[in-house]
Amino acid sequence: MSHADPEQLAGLALDPSDGPADVREHAETCPECAGLVAAFTGVRRRAGADALVPPPAGLRDQVLAEVRAGDVPTPLARPAAAEPSARRGVPLWLAGVAAALALLAGVGLGRIGTGSTEAPEAVPPPGDAGTVVAATALTALDSDAERGKASAVQTDDTFTIRVSASELGDEPGVREVWLINVDGERMISIGLLASGDEGEFAVPMDLIDEGYRIVDISVEPDDGDPTHSGVSIARGELA
Amino acid sequence: MTIIPFPARGGRRYGGPVVTEAMSFEHEQDDVVLALATRLVAGEETALEEVYDRWSALVHTYALRALHDPHDAEEVTQQVFVAAWRSRHTLTPSPAALPAWLVGIARHKVADVRAARARDAARLAAVVSLPGARDGDHQSADDDVAERLVVRQAVEELPDPRRTIMFLAFWEEHSHAEIAEKVGLPLGTVKSHVRRGLMKLHQQLEGVRHESR
Repeated sequence: MSHADPEQLAGLALDPSDGPADVREHAETCPECAGLVAAFTGVRRRAGADALVPPPAGLRDQVLAEVRAGDVPTPLARPAAAEPSARRGVPLWLAGVAAALALLAGVGLGRIGTGSTEAPEAVPPPGDAGTVVAATALTALDSDAERGKASAVQTDDTFTIRVSASELGDEPGVREVWLINVDGERMISIGLLASGDEGEFAVPMDLIDEGYRIVDISVEPDDGDPTHSGVSIARGELA
Repeated sequence: MTIIPFPARGGRRYGGPVVTEAMSFEHEQDDVVLALATRLVAGEETALEEVYDRWSALVHTYALRALHDPHDAEEVTQQVFVAAWRSRHTLTPSPAALPAWLVGIARHKVADVRAARARDAARLAAVVSLPGARDGDHQSADDDVAERLVVRQAVEELPDPRRTIMFLAFWEEHSHAEIAEKVGLPLGTVKSHVRRGLMKLHQQLEGVRHESR
């Protein structure tokens, strides 16, 4: 006998005793038809899912707006790969800034190398105007070795984290400064030690209130990845 | 609803007219989906709107089940349809291709979010010395979810009375005789609807499985 009618095989999947005897016999001996019955049985078992949840009403317009705004020929893989990591990590523009600053740091080193003794202009001497509202000693992570200090300073309308680090080692890469939330779940980059071991970073005051009080200095290789490298060389909790 | 008389002829065969009617709306459905896919590939924006209206709940629910976060699910849904538009030329129009193709894109977007989460967790674990949150292999659970949702979606868009009959048969587990009584159709008609419905679901699922390979 030629293969059974798929509809009759679907009937067998629903009820093995249902259907003409010759079809049942055939389905028992023909691997192809038996396979189709098994496939139908599998589909039947996939039924039962709860109702689908539509996305929020506004999303449709967002999709269409994004499509209309960005409807230029784009390499396919790029937006897909870039979007989530950019959202979760440091914004791309900041990565650009980081790259530019890394370049500046390189220039600075070059100047030191040629014997210039000028103090870098970008870093005002710490400890001038303003009120220190919190401070901490920085230490190495694997020992109590001192690594300088950090303070949170409030002036009239700005709030800055001042870092005066020391003995950060000579591992290649830029030194990036982070605030880690005491909840252990969130962290944010506040900038780079662009030149030397000192830096001053304006931050929104809210950050401290939200628990971003752990100052962390990392070594960041020039690998294009804007997230924390995992290599911390100094840390202290502002109190 | 038109009640189709159970044909007198043909012993065990469940109704020529039933099958003819069933086939005709199936073909119509297939043609509509095929035309929609073709218009999308051709770059018609209204096609994207229709695709969104029809399958955004499927994509959104999939992302929601996979990521357990409403915000991430929303974002993935948006990304999927924007990516679908931008990569529309990768779609090969066929009756079962669209949902499978969208679920395929959604898989990638979900994987991206998970990878980002894993990166964050690993970084944070390294920095804060917390045990890292792991993100193991979700693929088979995801595939199962995807298939169940595709089935649900496919049943929901069946024209009545087949839709109602399929829900009664597969979700509420009524017997064919009970359904025949409930919807006021001959038993043979009900059986035919369930069988052909099952075949339709099988066709949709084959598309999804093919896409995931």
